[in-house]
Amino acid sequence: MNTIEVERTEPGVEVVVVTGEHDLSTAPELERQLKAALDSGAAVAVDLMRTTFIDSSVLRVLICAREEADERSIGFRVALGDSTGHGVRRLLELTDTERRLATAPTRAAAIAGARG
Amino acid sequence: MAPHSHGFELELAAEADNVPLVRHALRGLLEASGISDERTADIALAVTEACANAVLHAYRDRAGYFEVAAELAPGGRLVVIVRDHGSGMAPRVDSPGLGVGLPVMAAIAEALEIDTPDGSGTLVKMTFDLGGACA
Repeated sequence: MNTIEVERTEPGVEVVVVTGEHDLSTAPELERQLKAALDSGAAVAVDLMRTTFIDSSVLRVLICAREEADERSIGFRVALGDSTGHGVRRLLELTDTERRLATAPTRAAAIAGARG
Repeated sequence: MAPHSHGFELELAAEADNVPLVRHALRGLLEASGISDERTADIALAVTEACANAVLHAYRDRAGYFEVAAELAPGGRLVVIVRDHGSGMAPRVDSPGLGVGLPVMAAIAEALEIDTPDGSGTLVKMTFDLGGACA
């Protein structure tokens, strides 16, 4: 199933969970959710552990969110690990953009990193 | 045209919601070819980027359509053609993309050709080596 959900179970951190495959058809929804999370005043962690595929439209939304978080001094991390789909890791590798996303290897590490 | 065992042809409105349909058809075609899930994901990425270009760049604010033809060719190759009838590959300063679509396609496909047939629109032809699985 392809979903974008925001979890608020972690104090001080909005966790945006991206599940399944996402492309230009869902990138605007992810952009809305990330903007709302960044506006909430909390730190933001994006969980890509169960993401199977993204295209460059989604990658652009993630990079822009990270840059905006940096500009506003909001904690931001992207969880990207062994369970993240090949389709995601391949795009990051081909575009050499993983370093632009502030990644962490697990969801817990991303939450801790976003809190700072 | 109706799908057949060695390929498919789709004509779709140039709307973002139609791009997942192309991946679905592509995976259906590649399922029987015996290639790895990883290679299928790579090809799906390249084809998605080509379709995204047609949806995001070809027609700007007007409606249009794009065509996707995929065929398993002799020698274990997959040939995919994505064609639109829009304004061509003009640069766009307000691009909603990252500008990495073409390099991604070029990195994954064994051959990439971009043409403006009949002077309008863009035709992207990608050839993927399937490792001889379909030879």
